[in-house]
Formats: sequence, C-alpha cells, structure tokens
Amino acid sequence: MFTHIPAAPVVPQKGDRVLVAMSGGVDSSVAAALLVEQGCDVVGVTMKLHGDGADVPDRPCCSLDATSDARRVCEKLGIPHYVTNLVDHFGHDVLDDFVQEYARGRTPIPCVRCNTFTKFRDLLDKADAIDARWLATGHYARMGRIGDEAVMLRGLDQGKDQSYFLWGIDRPVLDRLVLPIGTQTKAETRDIARRFGLRTAEKIESQDICFVPDGDHVRVIREHLGADAPALQPGPFRLANGDVVGEHDGFARFTIGQRKGLPGGFGAPMFVVEIIPAERAVVIGPREALLGRGLEARELNWLYDAPAEGSTVQVQVRNRAKPSPATIVRLDATSVELALDEPIQAISPGQSLVIYDGDVVLGGGVIERGLRAAPSRRLPLLVG
Amino acid sequence: MSHSPVYLDHAATTPVRDEVMAAMTPFFGPRFGNPSSVHRWGREARVALDEARERLAACLGAQPDEVCFTSGGTEGDNFAILGVFRTLKAQGRLAAITTPIEHKAVLAAVHHVVHEGGEERIVRVSGDGLVERAHFGELLDDRVAIASVMWVNNEVGVIQDIPALAAQAKAAGAVFHTDGVQAFGKVTVDARTQPFDLLTISGHKIGAPKGIGALYIRRDTPLEPLAHGGSQERGRRPGTENVAFAIGLATAAELVLAEHDAEQARLLSLRAALEGGLRDRIPGVVIHGANAPRAAHVVNVSIPGASSESLLMALDLRGIACSAGSACQSGSVSASHVLSAMGVSNELANAALRLSLGCLSTPECITRTVDVLATLAEKSRGVKSAPAFETVEF
Repeated sequence: MFTHIPAAPVVPQKGDRVLVAMSGGVDSSVAAALLVEQGCDVVGVTMKLHGDGADVPDRPCCSLDATSDARRVCEKLGIPHYVTNLVDHFGHDVLDDFVQEYARGRTPIPCVRCNTFTKFRDLLDKADAIDARWLATGHYARMGRIGDEAVMLRGLDQGKDQSYFLWGIDRPVLDRLVLPIGTQTKAETRDIARRFGLRTAEKIESQDICFVPDGDHVRVIREHLGADAPALQPGPFRLANGDVVGEHDGFARFTIGQRKGLPGGFGAPMFVVEIIPAERAVVIGPREALLGRGLEARELNWLYDAPAEGSTVQVQVRNRAKPSPATIVRLDATSVELALDEPIQAISPGQSLVIYDGDVVLGGGVIERGLRAAPSRRLPLLVG
Repeated sequence: MSHSPVYLDHAATTPVRDEVMAAMTPFFGPRFGNPSSVHRWGREARVALDEARERLAACLGAQPDEVCFTSGGTEGDNFAILGVFRTLKAQGRLAAITTPIEHKAVLAAVHHVVHEGGEERIVRVSGDGLVERAHFGELLDDRVAIASVMWVNNEVGVIQDIPALAAQAKAAGAVFHTDGVQAFGKVTVDARTQPFDLLTISGHKIGAPKGIGALYIRRDTPLEPLAHGGSQERGRRPGTENVAFAIGLATAAELVLAEHDAEQARLLSLRAALEGGLRDRIPGVVIHGANAPRAAHVVNVSIPGASSESLLMALDLRGIACSAGSACQSGSVSASHVLSAMGVSNELANAALRLSLGCLSTPECITRTVDVLATLAEKSRGVKSAPAFETVEF
C-alpha cells in the first residue's frame, strides 16, 4: 500500500565536518560520539534559547548545567564545543508565537517551530559559517533516499519516534541532515553512552517544554501578555446548545480534550470540545463530541512531493498517536482538507498534522480545525 | 597545511611566567607557613608576604601599607566602590559616578549602590570612548562619594586621562577610583605623581596566576571592608593571605615594568601590522576607538556583514583564539555594551572582535590572523571560495 520503499541515505564521509546540535542530553551526546567514531570532523554547538530558568539545576536542557554537560561531553570526545546565542531569534519565532496561539484559543507546539526556525535555519547558518557540510541532531528519526532525493523517515523505535516534530523544516536541509540515533532504541542509546563513558548516560529525559520548566504555561502567557489579557480573564463554560454551566478563569488554561478543571454533575465525563476566544467561552461536551472525521490544516510544508488530491495517506494529529488512514480531499499551496477513515478524538487547533507514506514523512501543517463530518470532494463544475 | 595555534586573547588572561612560577613554588611546599603564626614557619611566611607587599608597592609608587592584596579585579573594584560608598553615606555623599564602558565588576558595584539607598550617575563618553570632561564636571557635586573610571578599556583599549579626571574628582571632594586591570604594565602608573585614591590591579593579566590582585588604597581613604574577620591586611581584607600568589604578583609586576619599554614598542609594531593588514585586506573594516589614545595590546575591529559569534567559531576551528563582547556564564556571546555606549550600531557591534596582543604574539601570528580574517570577511561578503580545511597542531 505504500508508494515508496526508501533506500539508505547518503551519509557523511570520514573527515567531513559535521555540526552537531547538543542540548546536553544523552541523545545528542551519543549522536556526536557516533560521528566521532566514524571519523567525522565533529563540532558540538549548544543553542542558548532563552534566559528562563537558566539557573534551575535539574533542567535537562538549556540550563547552565546542560550547557556544561554538552561542553564536557565534547571535551571527552576531543571535539570543539561552542554556545550560540539565539535568544532573540527564538523569542521572536517560537516564544511570541506560543503566547499568541494560546491567546487565540489554540494549543501550539513550540518544539515544531523551534525545529523549523531555530534548529534547522539559524543553526544551519552556523554550520555554513564553519564550513560544515552536515548538520546532525539527536532526534529519533531517520534519513533515507528515494531516487536522488533525501527523505525523512520515522525513528525505528516506535515509542520514541520524533518525526512528528520535524515536518516543518526546509526541504533542502534534508540533503545536509544526519540523524545518527534514529535507528536505535533509547536503551541502546544509553548503552552506547555508557560504552563511551559519557556523563549524560543516565540523565533524565526532558518532558516539559524547555522554557516552561515548571509546566505552568499560564505563567509564561501572563509574563508576556499581562495578567489582564483576555485569554486569562474569566469566561463561561458552555454546552454545545449554548447553556452556560459555569465559569472558568481563562480559556488559555484549556485545551481540546481536557478533562481537568471542568464543572461536574453531568453523569458522563465531560471534555473541552471547543474554545471560542471572541466570547472567551470554553465549550464542553461528552466524549462523542470530541470525535472528528476530517480536518483542515494550514501553513503546509512538504519534505517530499505533495500527494495528489484523492490519494490515501497516513496521518498523525498528535505525538505518539497511532497513524490513521486518511484521504486528501482538497489540497492547495496553503491548506489541506482530509477525510479520516476512522474518527479521531480531540483534534486540536494549533497542533500539528503530519502526513506519512509508510515511514516516509511527506510533510505537514498546523491544524486549523477538526471537522465533525468527513469533507467530501468538490464536484468539478459543469460548464455548459 | 598545518599552522601553529595563535593566541590573541591576552586581555582575557595570560600564562603564568616561568620566573613567577619559580618564585612561588617554595611557598606551596617547604615554606608553607601561615603568616599569622608565631613560630618559625609563620615568621618566614610573614616576612615573605611583607617583602612581596614592598616590592609591589614600589612598582605602584606606593607605600607598603597602601597595598592590599585581593583575589583579583572584581574584588578590588567592589571593595573600592562599595567600601567608599558605605563609609561616606553617613555624611550625605550618596552618589557613585562611573562610565558606561566599564567592566561589569564596576558597573554592577555602582548599580548595587542604588540598592543600598545611593544613586548611580553615568558620565557620557564620546564616539571614541573618551569621558566627556564637561559632563563629568556637571555630575561631580557635593553628593558624590566616589567616581570610578577605567584607565585602559578592556574591550577597545582606549586610555582615559586618569591623572586629570582624578584631580577633577578630588577638587569636588569625591574619592577617585580607577580600574587599572588593563593599564598596569601598559601605561605609566605612579601613585606619587598621579592623584587617584584607589587603583585595582589583577595578576593574571600580567603573568601571575588567576586569583590574586591588589587594591592600592591611598592613606586616609575612607574604606569599609567587604568581609569581616581577622586582622590580616590591616583588617581591610581578613582571611589567611595567599602568600605564594602575592609573591607571584610582585614578581610579575617587577618583570612587566622592567620590560615595559621594549615590550610596548614590540606590541605597537605588531599592532600596526595587524591594523594595517586588516585595513588593506578587508573593505569597510572598522577599528574602534581609532582616534583616541589606545594601549598597544588591544585591537577591537568590526568586519561588516559578519557575526562575532560565527567568526569566533570559525577562527577557533582554525586555531586562532580571540574574543568578542562579553561572554555570559553559558559561554554565549552578546553584543558589547562598550561598543553600544560608544554609539556603534548594533550591526557593527555584532560583527566585532577583540584581538589582544601580549607575550605569545609574534609577527607570524599577525600574518596568519590577517590572512584568515581576510578569508572569513570575503565569505561573509558572499565571495565564494572553497572551504579551507586545515589542521592545527597543538
């Protein structure tokens, strides 16, 4: 059923210079170590993205400790290490957007924009500056090749696959991208780290968004927009029929599919099914109301040739979800409409739609809205 | 092609000189005593410390009791500014004056004065980084406790007229401090003829180890200690003295003064070659502070269209060490506050490098650096050239 069987990727040769993005975690440490072992001319670079919580000692990345870990791993591997200050770029491309999306009642994924703009654009400039032919990261995704074209594939470890966050990067970057650990499991990565004696081998995994170390995204919104931002003001909980059933303390605290913090007494569990920023309303409903049979996404980006209208693809609307079969109903340069073969729960505006062909990442977009009913293909206009 | 590494960051730090190492070594081993002890080990250490103080005092034109050993530049600057402010606060002198182009140690100490109920006043500097004397005069009223002006700027090398500024401040009844970390050994420093009250110096800029410095304190300067404890350093800086390092500092200071004329002439000629080479080979290159008196060892240059951070990486990968702006704790670089204060545009400030010369600098270093910078400048102008992969033999 898959169109393409990708071949092995073109990989860096002995002596090629590779810039490795190093967060200070075990994954990127091992990525660097493997490239050093292959005889590449490896340069480690840690991005300083924000000042928030730089002094929180246990933060897995972006803290002083994380930067020191990256530096010490590089020293151990005998390679140079640099820190690049991307605070301004990250603030503009990622942080501001994060806050604005919440203000619009959506649920953004800052990691996607960080990959698109910061890691694979700003950092690529650094690679150019140091004549590095390649850019490597510690993502659990793989590179492959279809004909002469580099393509991105899912990571082999299904539980760790991070391709969902990588759909937005510029297609030409693929020719320079190396993903050394995408063929491994996390356990294998840690084993390799131990074999190299890397201090990051047992380091805990980062789960939170890097600039929200305490998990309190509302604090970040408050700091950027002020406590009087509409998204943080009280508003009504409503049912689909318009009945007001309570008051919430700011729609930015809610996301589609959320159960926590909703009024009770309905017999069945209730979920957030819609956020209407203009009325500061949070609409709640039963589980069935969460089901979507189609969706529209915008801000499309393709890592391989875009599929044709009418073709069947696999899609994911959240990280680590099972891929769902879907049909491309309508596609133009900026937006796509999909019909889902099976309904999906809690399709959230602001999250990513990623479109796969088997393991190949075809591309993706930002979800504009879920559709209760599957969209149908427009009939061609009969002219006559 | 293989090249020797090039160290052009002497304003950041210098290697400990062999003579300094040799002078210090006995005090880590056989002569390890505590100068406060009454026994022979203690006496020996005390005598050695007193001698070191005398020798350093002679280098500064000072009396031995006017020399207080410290841990280095940051401690000296804080001690001077906060020590004077805290003493004179009771007399209604609540303001501290400084320039916007100081080292962070001075800027932060002066700013801290605000948290203790004082007032910070920042004097304007010209495009070449020189203090505007008229404005300095306006700020110097009878509420000023202390004025602090850096003698030789660490980022651009600009030399202020410290004797004149000190006289101006003292005429207004203020205490005058100068951060002389980059000045000592490069310009004439003489407490007998120059009226500064306090002068900070640091060992590791002149071939002594990191972790030793001194504050010159003119007699009768009102100065409260930062730390409280024993009677060491006349109670001004309690804590067991770092005898070995104090001896190292005195030895390095004597050497740097003995070699001053020859070394400054050598550095001036290297600087001329460096600046000349950069001007010839890089269109639009800007050398900051070029029209002001400058110390021989610092060149701050902007390469239009380039980024400091990328240049530092590319230079390091070719074995050339220099610096840019002020490094934060993580090691990332942000644009220099000194260049911004001098009115340099953000774009140029973000394209600046500080190259600082010293004992490890040779004509070959300069030639190599000019060649590499010319290549990198071409690249940042979009002139395509084959990437040069070179090895550096350390």
